Amino acid sequence: MKPPSFRRPEASLPVAALVLTIIAFVLIPTYTDTALSSFDVYNTLQIFARLGLLTLALGLTMIAGEFDLSVVGTYALGGMLTVQAGQQHWAWGLLAALGAGAAVGLLQGGLIARLKIPSMPVTLATYIALLGLTSALSGGLTKTYANVTVTLWVDQPVLTYFSPRSLITLGLFAAAAAVLSLSRWGRELRAIGGDRRAGRVAGVRVDRLIVGTFAASGVLSALGGSLLSFSLGSANPDPGVQPLIVAAAAALLGGVSLAGGRGHPLGLLGGILAVALLAEIVAVAAVPQYVSQLFFAGLLGIIVVIDAPDLHSALVRQRTRLRPSHHPRTSI
Amino acid sequence: MNVMSAPPRSDAPIRRPGRSRSRAELVIDAVLLLAVLAAIVLALTTHRFATVANAKAILTSASLVGIAALGLTLITIGGSAVSLAISPSVAAVGMIFLSAQSFGLVPALALAVLCGILITGVQGAIVGYAAANPVVLTIAASFAITGIATGVSGGSTVSPTGGGYDRLNATPGGVALSVYVLIGLALIVQWTLRRTGFGRSLYLIGENRRAARAAGLPVGRTTAVAWLAAGALFAVTAAFTAAFNTSANVNLGGTLTFDAIAAVLAGGTPIAGGRGSALRTLAGAVLIAAASDILLLRGSSTGVQILVKGVIVLVVVVLVHLRTEGSRA
Repeated sequence: MKPPSFRRPEASLPVAALVLTIIAFVLIPTYTDTALSSFDVYNTLQIFARLGLLTLALGLTMIAGEFDLSVVGTYALGGMLTVQAGQQHWAWGLLAALGAGAAVGLLQGGLIARLKIPSMPVTLATYIALLGLTSALSGGLTKTYANVTVTLWVDQPVLTYFSPRSLITLGLFAAAAAVLSLSRWGRELRAIGGDRRAGRVAGVRVDRLIVGTFAASGVLSALGGSLLSFSLGSANPDPGVQPLIVAAAAALLGGVSLAGGRGHPLGLLGGILAVALLAEIVAVAAVPQYVSQLFFAGLLGIIVVIDAPDLHSALVRQRTRLRPSHHPRTSI
Repeated sequence: MNVMSAPPRSDAPIRRPGRSRSRAELVIDAVLLLAVLAAIVLALTTHRFATVANAKAILTSASLVGIAALGLTLITIGGSAVSLAISPSVAAVGMIFLSAQSFGLVPALALAVLCGILITGVQGAIVGYAAANPVVLTIAASFAITGIATGVSGGSTVSPTGGGYDRLNATPGGVALSVYVLIGLALIVQWTLRRTGFGRSLYLIGENRRAARAAGLPVGRTTAVAWLAAGALFAVTAAFTAAFNTSANVNLGGTLTFDAIAAVLAGGTPIAGGRGSALRTLAGAVLIAAASDILLLRGSSTGVQILVKGVIVLVVVVLVHLRTEGSRA
C-alpha cells in the first residue's frame, strides 16, 4: 500500500493528532513552570517504546478487519518468559518470548482463519488463558531480572534522544511500513479487511494472510513485553487492561478504521507518538492521572461516534434532503 | 468492526447437506459428552467436592458474576457484542450505594439501580441509535467512569454511611441471598427474552440488524432498553459486591468484566448475537465456578484457575461456532 494521500482519514487523523500534541508539547513552558529539556523528548520516546509494539500488533490485525484482544496477554507472557528463561543469557529469554508469541499467534490465526470464527471471542479466551499461564509461571509474583548489564544497555541514551529500545521499536515500525508498502501484502491486508469475500475472489490467499497477521501480532507483542522486562529489570504477571486501552486508542488515532480495511503502519506510528507525547505532557504538567483518563475517554468517544455508521448515514440523509443536487455517495 | 457486530461471515463455504454435516455434529457431541464425563469423574474423585457445603460455595461464587453476566447476555443477544465497562460501572455504583447508606437500604438500592441504568443506558443509546462500535465505546466509557469516580472520590475508599447494607449479606436457609437473587433474575430475564415482544425483537436485531430495521422494528430503542436493563443488573451486582466488601473504591469491580464475558461465552451464547439465553449464562457461570472450585480443592494456584477458565471459554466458543455453522449451512 502506498502512503495514502493527506486528504484521507488514515493520513489526516494521525497527522492532526501529532501536530496538535507537538504544539501542546512545545508550549509546555507557557502553562507550567518547567522548561523543556532534551530529557523530555527522550522520555517521550521511552513511553513510545513501552507501548509502540503493542499498538503495531493490534493495529495490523485491525487493518485486516480483526481485533486481537490477546496482545496484552502475549505481552505479559513474553515479559515473564524473558525474565525466567533469560537468567543465564538474555538471548534465551528473548527466543523463548518470541517463540511463545509466534505459537500463540499461529494457533489463534489458524482457528480464526480455518474455522471462520470471529476473532473477538477467540482472542478474549486466549487473553484470559495467557494471563493465567503467566501468573502460573511466576506464582502470581513479580519476578526480577538479575542481568543488570542488559537493563542498562536497552535504556542508555543514544544520540541524546533515543535509546536502543526506542530505536528497535522505531525500526520495526519502519520495517512494517516498508514491507506493507513495497510488497502486495499491504494491499491484500486492506482488501481482506475491507471486504473479505471480494479479497478472496480477487485471488488473495485469505487464510494464510490472517494466520500470518496474527503470528506477526503475537511476535510483536511478545517482543514488546521482552523489551519492557529488560528495561524494568522485572516482569509483572498482570499488566492490567490499561495497555490494551491505550494501544487501541493509539491505533484508532493512527487512522485505523474499526470496520477494517484502512490504515498504514506510518499512521499507527503517528498515533502512538501522539499518545506518548500526551502522556509526557501529563507527567510534566503534573496533571492528575484521572484527567488524562478523561481526556482519552473523550478522544475515543469522539472517534467512535464519528465512525458510527448509522449516525453517518443519518447525516448523509439529512444533507441530501437539504441539498437535493448533492450526490450522497461522494460525501463518504 | 465487522467481526464483532456483523452477522455471520458471508464467505463461509457452502456445506454439502446431509451426511457430512451430521457426522461433524456427531463428533462435536461425542467430544462434548466425553468432556462432561471426564469433568464429572474428576469432580467426584476430588476430595470434598460432592458435599452440600461445597455446592453452596460454588453457587455463592457464581452468583455475583452471574448477575452481571445476565445483563451482559441481553447486550450480547441484541448484537452489541460485549461491554468492556462492567468493572468500572460496578465500582462506581458500589461507591454510590455505600455512600447513600444513610438514607436506608431501599433508597440506596433504588439510587444505585438508577445510576447503573443511567451509566450503561447512555452507552446503549449511542450503540442503539448511532450503531457505534460497542467494544471501543465501552473502552472509552471505562476510562470515563474510572476517571470521574477517581476525581469525585479523590481516589479514596468509600466507607458505608449506615448499616443497612448488611442485610444483603444475609444467608436465608444457609444460602447467600445473592444466590436467590441470581436464580430469580435469571428466570425473569429468560421469561422476558422468550415471552415478550421486546425479547423477540432483541433476538431479531442481534441476528440481522438490517432486516430488523427493514421490518420496522425500533432498533435503536430496543438496543437502548437492553443496555438499560443490563445497567440495572450491573447495579445489583455492585450492591452485593460492595455490601460483601463493606467498602468500595475504583478497583471494586476487579476482573468482573472478563469473568462476566467468560460466563456468557462459556454458556454457549455466540458473540455475534441473535442466539443464547439467560439460562445458558447461568449454566456458564456455574460451570466456571465449579471448574475453579475443583482446581482450588486440588490445590492449584490462582494462575492455573485463570488458565483453565480461558481454555474452557476457548473450547466452548469453538464448539458452539462449529455447531451453529453446521446447522445453519
